[in-house]
Amino acid sequence: MRTVAIFSQPDRESLHVRQADEAFCVGPGPAARSYLNVPNIISTALITGCDAIHPGYGFLAENARFAEICADHGLTFIGPQPAVIAMMGDKATAKRIMREAGVPTTPGTDVLGSVEEAYAAAAAIGYPVLLKATAGGGGKGMRVVEDARDLARAYASATAEAEASFKDGRVYLEKLIRGPRHLEVQVLGDDDGNIVHLGERDCSVQKPAHLKLIEESPAVHLPARTRNKLHEMAVQACRHVGYTNAGTLEFLAVGDDVYFMEMNTRIQVEHPVTEMVYGIDLVKEQIRIAAGEPLGYAQSDLASRGHAIECRINAEDTRNHFAPAAGAVSKVVFPGGPGIRVDTHLYAGATIPPYYDSMLAKVVAFGDTREIAIARMERALRETLIEGVRTTIDLCLEILAAPAFREGRYDIEFLPNLLTEIGAPVSLNGTPPLGELGAARPPRAKPVGPP
Amino acid sequence: MTVHRAYLGIGANLGAAAESVERAIGALAELGKVQRTSPLYRSEPWGVRDQPPFVNAVVLLETPLAPRALLDELGKIELRLGRTPGERWGPRAIDLDLLLYDDLEIDSPELHVPHKHLRERAFVLVPLAQLDEQFAPLRDALDASELAGVVPLPRSDPPSRESVTPMPQGRLRPLVERIAALARFLASGDAVRVRVSRGEDEIELARRLRPALAPRSSDGASAELAPLRVDEIKADIVGIFHARPPAPAEGDRFEGDRELGYIEALGIRTPVRTMGAGRIVSVATADGAAVEYGQPLFLVARG
Repeated sequence: MRTVAIFSQPDRESLHVRQADEAFCVGPGPAARSYLNVPNIISTALITGCDAIHPGYGFLAENARFAEICADHGLTFIGPQPAVIAMMGDKATAKRIMREAGVPTTPGTDVLGSVEEAYAAAAAIGYPVLLKATAGGGGKGMRVVEDARDLARAYASATAEAEASFKDGRVYLEKLIRGPRHLEVQVLGDDDGNIVHLGERDCSVQKPAHLKLIEESPAVHLPARTRNKLHEMAVQACRHVGYTNAGTLEFLAVGDDVYFMEMNTRIQVEHPVTEMVYGIDLVKEQIRIAAGEPLGYAQSDLASRGHAIECRINAEDTRNHFAPAAGAVSKVVFPGGPGIRVDTHLYAGATIPPYYDSMLAKVVAFGDTREIAIARMERALRETLIEGVRTTIDLCLEILAAPAFREGRYDIEFLPNLLTEIGAPVSLNGTPPLGELGAARPPRAKPVGPP
Repeated sequence: MTVHRAYLGIGANLGAAAESVERAIGALAELGKVQRTSPLYRSEPWGVRDQPPFVNAVVLLETPLAPRALLDELGKIELRLGRTPGERWGPRAIDLDLLLYDDLEIDSPELHVPHKHLRERAFVLVPLAQLDEQFAPLRDALDASELAGVVPLPRSDPPSRESVTPMPQGRLRPLVERIAALARFLASGDAVRVRVSRGEDEIELARRLRPALAPRSSDGASAELAPLRVDEIKADIVGIFHARPPAPAEGDRFEGDRELGYIEALGIRTPVRTMGAGRIVSVATADGAAVEYGQPLFLVARG
C-alpha cells in the first residue's frame, strides 16, 4: 500500500515526510492552519488519488464533521461512523447511552442548567464531586469540589474555562472517586457487526491533569471476575452503538466496582502494548475494517500472551511542571534487543518545533512475565540517549524502581505522590503551558498509520 | 527549551587552513543551528609570530548548550579535527573560541566570556563586525595597522561542507533549476546582480561586466550596484495549478497586477496574482501540476 503524508512547514524534515511515498505540505506551523486545515487536507487526498485517510490519534481523529466531509468527497475515513464519533465525543451523551446499554457509569448528572441544579445534584450524589466540561479533555474545565461551600466558585470557573478552551461552556457533575485505577479496554468492530475486545490496559501512571505516562497490559492484581466484567461491558457497549473500527473504552476501577468514563473513537497512543501481547497490528486491522473486510476471527481465537509496558518519552522538564521543550536534538541513541520496540519520529539533528505535543518516542518492552518486561524496560531506558532537550526518561526510571509500581499496587494518585516525594514541583491544576494538548495528541498527523 | 546565542571564533593555520575552518563550521552544526557565518579572513599570526598566517572566521551559533558544555563540545571538535592539546598560541590545525554567550559575563579559571582578548584582536573583531553591525565600534577602535593585517580570503572553489542533515532526495533538482533560471535571467542583460531570499536562506548571483560597460561614478570607481529584488510567488493552498492562457513564460513583463493563473481545490478557483509590476525570471511549476502549501510557482524580478 502506498501512502501520502501531510506535514506543516516546520515538519518538512520530519521522519514521516521522508518515509512516505509522497508528502504534501498543508500549511504553516500553527496546527489550526495546517494539521487542522480541512480544505488543504482533503484537497491533498483528492489530487494525489488517495482512497482513505487515517487521522492518527490527535487533531482531526475524533472530529465527526471531518469524517463526514471525507465521505462527502468519496474518501474513506479510517474510523467509526461520524454519528458514533459525535455521540461519544459528547461526554454526557456518551454516559447516557452507556447506562442504556447496561454499563455502569459514575453517579452523575446530565448537562447542568444552573448552579442551583448543581447544588441539588451534588447533595443527592454526596460530596466530594467533580465538575467536568462536556466537551472536555486534558483536564480543562475540570474542578474538584470538596463540599458545598466551594461549589458556586468552582462552577463559575469551570464554566468559564470550558468556554475559553472549547467554545462550549457546558459542564456536568459526577461523584469523585478517590484513588481509582484507570483501566481501558481495546475493541475492534467490523461492518458485519462482529465485535471483539483485545484485553485491557492499565494507564494509572498519570501526570497531573490525567496525562498518561506509563501503560501496561494486562493489568496486574485484577480479579478474573472484574477483568471479565470489564471486557464483557466493553463489547456490550460497542454492540449497543453499532461500533466499527478500533476504539477504546476507559473505566475507573475501585475494588470490584468499575465505572465507564469515556470512549475514544480512534487508535490511542498506547496501542502498542496491546499489539505486543496480542500479536495483532491494530493499524492494519483499522485499514482492513475500513476497506470493508470482516475481522475474520472470533473472540475465542484471541489470547493475550506475556506482558508489555510502554513508557512515553516526552521533551518535558519533569522538575518544572512538565513544561514542554522545543529545540535541536543533537544526539539520539535508541535501545534495541529482545522484546524492545521503539515508535518515534526523532533522529539526530532533528528540530522539535514548539507547536505540537512534546512526545518524542514510545519505548515498549515485552516479556513473558511482568518482571521480565520491567527489567527489559529499565535496561532499554538506560540505553536511550537523547541530547539537547530534557526528557521524561529519568522520571520513568524512578517510577519503574518505586516499590508500589514494582508490586503492581498503584492507582492514579501514585505518580503525583511520587513527584511530591522526590521533590518535583507539581502545579495544582497540573496544566502544562501548552494547555490545548490533551492526553493523547500526537506529535504528527499521518494520513496512514505507522509501519 | 531556551536557545542561546553564542558567537564563536574559528582559526586555523596548518595544512589546508581554509578547508579546516569550513569543516569546523560544518561540525558546529552538531551543537545547534549555525545562524550566520562570516566570510573567511587571512590574518598575521598572534603571539608567536614565526609561523604561517591564520585563516579566521566568526559564526553565530544558536545552541541549547550551557557555556561549560559548549566549551567541552568545542574542545571535542578541535580534537577531532586534529588539534594536539598542549601548546598555546602555537601552530594548530583548528582553534575554536567561545567569544560571546548571550549577555553573560563569566569569569572562571577555565572560561572567560566575553573572551579575554576579544577587544584586542583584529582577526576576531573584523569578521564579528561583518556578522553584526553592533560590533563595528569595537572594530573601529583598533589601529588601522592592525586592521590592515586582516584581509578577506579570496574564494576559490566552493569548499565542501560537512552536513548533519543531508538535502533530502529529489529536492536538489528544483533548486538547481531555479539557480539556472536566475543565471539565464542575468545573462539576458536586465540586471547585473540578483538576490533571492527565502526564510533564512539567501542566494545572490552577480554578472561580471566588461570594464568598458561597467558604470562609473564621477571619481572613476565602480559604482555599487544595488541588487535586483526577486520575489517568489507561492501557492497558499493545496490544489492543482492552472496557468491562464497565454501561459506566462520566462521573460514576460507586466506593468501592473496581473492574474497568472489559479489554483483549483475542491471545485473552487483561487487566483494567483503577480502582486505588482515585474518580469518573470522563471516558471517554477507546470500548468496542471499539483501544488503543496508554500510551493513556489513563479520567480518575479521587481524594479
